[in-house]
Amino acid sequence: MRSLWQIARDLWQMAPAFRLALLYLVLLAAVALALPWLPLGYGPNELDLEQTYQAPFGWAAEPDKPRHWLGTDGLGRDVLSNILYGARTAFAISLPVMAIASLIGLTLGASAGLYGNRRLHLSRAVLAALVFGLLPLAYYGIYLPMLLFSQGAAYSDFILTGMAALFFTLLLVLGLRALFKQLPFLNQKTPFPADELLLRLIEVQTSIPRLVLILVLAAIVPPTLLALSVLLVLTFWTGTARLARAEMLRIRELPFFEAATSLGFTQRRLLIRHALPHLLGPVLVAFSFGLAGLLMLESTLSFLNIGVSTDLVSLGRMIAGIRTNTAAWWLVAIPGAVLSVTVLALQTFSYYVLRSLQNKK
Amino acid sequence: MANFVFRRLLLAIPTLWFIASAIFLLSKLMPGAFGSEHLAQQEAGYYSRSDAASRDHSYRLFLKTTGQDLPLFYFSITSAAMPDTLHRVFPERDRAFLQKLSWQYGNPDAAARFFRSLKTLETDLSETERQQVQEHLYMIYSHREAADLQQATAGIAAKLPATNISRSKNLESSARLLASPSGYTYLLPSVQWHGDQNQYYRWLSGLLQGSLGTSLRDGRPVATVLGEAIGNTWWLLLASMAFATMLAMELAILMVRRSGRMWRSTLLPSLFLLDSIPLFVLAILLLVLLANPAFLQLFPVYGMGYYNAFDQSWLEQLSQWLQFMALPMICLVLANLPYLTNQFYQAVTAVAGQDYIRTARAKGLSEHRVIRRHMLRNALLPVITLLADFLPALVAGAVIIETVFAIPGVGRLLIDAVLTRDYPVIVGIVVIVAVFRLLSHLLSDLLYALADPRIRSHAS
Repeated sequence: MRSLWQIARDLWQMAPAFRLALLYLVLLAAVALALPWLPLGYGPNELDLEQTYQAPFGWAAEPDKPRHWLGTDGLGRDVLSNILYGARTAFAISLPVMAIASLIGLTLGASAGLYGNRRLHLSRAVLAALVFGLLPLAYYGIYLPMLLFSQGAAYSDFILTGMAALFFTLLLVLGLRALFKQLPFLNQKTPFPADELLLRLIEVQTSIPRLVLILVLAAIVPPTLLALSVLLVLTFWTGTARLARAEMLRIRELPFFEAATSLGFTQRRLLIRHALPHLLGPVLVAFSFGLAGLLMLESTLSFLNIGVSTDLVSLGRMIAGIRTNTAAWWLVAIPGAVLSVTVLALQTFSYYVLRSLQNKK
Repeated sequence: MANFVFRRLLLAIPTLWFIASAIFLLSKLMPGAFGSEHLAQQEAGYYSRSDAASRDHSYRLFLKTTGQDLPLFYFSITSAAMPDTLHRVFPERDRAFLQKLSWQYGNPDAAARFFRSLKTLETDLSETERQQVQEHLYMIYSHREAADLQQATAGIAAKLPATNISRSKNLESSARLLASPSGYTYLLPSVQWHGDQNQYYRWLSGLLQGSLGTSLRDGRPVATVLGEAIGNTWWLLLASMAFATMLAMELAILMVRRSGRMWRSTLLPSLFLLDSIPLFVLAILLLVLLANPAFLQLFPVYGMGYYNAFDQSWLEQLSQWLQFMALPMICLVLANLPYLTNQFYQAVTAVAGQDYIRTARAKGLSEHRVIRRHMLRNALLPVITLLADFLPALVAGAVIIETVFAIPGVGRLLIDAVLTRDYPVIVGIVVIVAVFRLLSHLLSDLLYALADPRIRSHAS
């Protein structure tokens, strides 16, 4: 943690581009947070049908109305407030999505790298029992709550199914384990192929390009923000997982880690106290690179009008407005510039952090 | 070598099967089959004078011909509180109603019987009778309390003379429904076995025989629809890929030269800048600037300009194609240039420090010859895998480009299919993209083995 802080301070003093990028990001974050209290003339979804396609910095404004500083689109929506609120929406979606995806990727990748294919030994009986235990868990834990929800059931029913899910799953797993232990084949310990499983999972997911996968899944789920966020998390964790796995494989061979292992620490302590501090730097880089990708993807999706509702204020929606009037250049130039500069700032930030991490090694 | 290829193909099949099946099953789990919203429209459109009953009939016919009335998988596990026959009830509105009934009264058999008698009653009603009991029917469909149901059925019985058998049956079954106790039957699962008369089996066996199904939108085979679209995308991707690779290579060579300091200090930052512009913004920007009468009309705006393609020689056709494809290709090249150039540059600089390069320079070879003959050949090795990985990733770019420039290719087909929920086409595109990726990986392995004798001997 301290080393990251050190890196940031060094970069701040050495690289002007890094300073600029960081300042811009902080400024944008401050504006986005304080947006509801800023004195803007118009709301983002407010229609001003008398002033459509106003060019920016036009001085011929109506006297009794606030001026549209950056012009308006085809329905008279103010470009300035749409940009600011659009940036706010983009960050409100991307930050939590990327945080959750990074967490999932870090956990899976680090444990796969630590345990490898033959370090985690599990009893075959337990594994087989767990596989069977998935059945009642899926029925009582997923199917029934969804059914209850669609029928508007009372809370007591939800609690009942939750208890049933735990009870039946535990019963089945414990009962089957006792039963399976009697069989000679199943009563053995076998290495659990954690690494292989993770790699297979990533391979399946990345066999389809990410945008195509999201488009396809967006046709299946209802177009709500929550569903879209879940989709994005499901498609974005793989990058961090891959990186964390590779870093973990490297760290595992370092002398200090071998020393810690030979001192007989538990795997958990090894992971959290010894490996995690070294993983944080690369994960931070992956986080900000991924954030830039997410910002682009979110605006692309809202530009294509897929997976989001049309009243979501977004930079992509504003840019899509140019299709009805190709002379309105400000609908592309201004939101596009804001989007590109934000992405550029994020990429500059991660580029410098990555470079100084590599130099330190 | 053949052994290696065979093993690679064999390993890829489970991945392909898994992802295609997952997309297929997921797409079917979503409520709202294709065309169900069309059915829900109450008023007839301008062209159709049909009433609700005939629309209902044609919808059922549509479901039957497309096989959508079959159960989804070999078996299904549902709650015991739901009737077994639920998956056979269409349209979705009726299914939801039956589900509500059986949930509310906790007795699936009585609910199913009441539902059937209600439907028979409705079909037996004449137009004037329907007018009379409309209000009560509406009450039955939307009731929340048991008392409302009782009141509504009593109302129907009072309004109509009880001569018809179906009416008395209706009342009787409603009485049974009300009498049944509500309990915790929903906690019990009920398993049904459907055999091979299910949608998944049909789809998979069709896929193994090379059929991707038929499009729900126009009833044509998905293979035909895809075949029409794939040509445009394929040539667009291939041409822009070739351009981008050549350009990136030349730029990398310019930068790696000893006198290339100026190139390095200008090109690298501008490529970094280019990399942060999203593809759709870039495409729209170029479209607005270069194909717009308000600014500069260098290129035609939209589409492919088919209308007079018949009486032209191939040269004219090609020039027309190029005219329309130039701007999309420029976009794709520009969008992929930063990444490619960076990779090439890194590969070349990694080689530039090697001993044999110093030897070549010491021999007094010209800079040109050192770079082209000595550096490039070794530097290109890692790039081969990169290119093969890159081609499928370009598909994502093609989706955006084809939408912006209205090119009738696979990307636009995907967007259209997603917007209309034409699932057979979507699944077909997923299969094609996955196969494409698989083949390009295989190709890269082969090329790599051809280029590097060490790998060839290692693999066999």
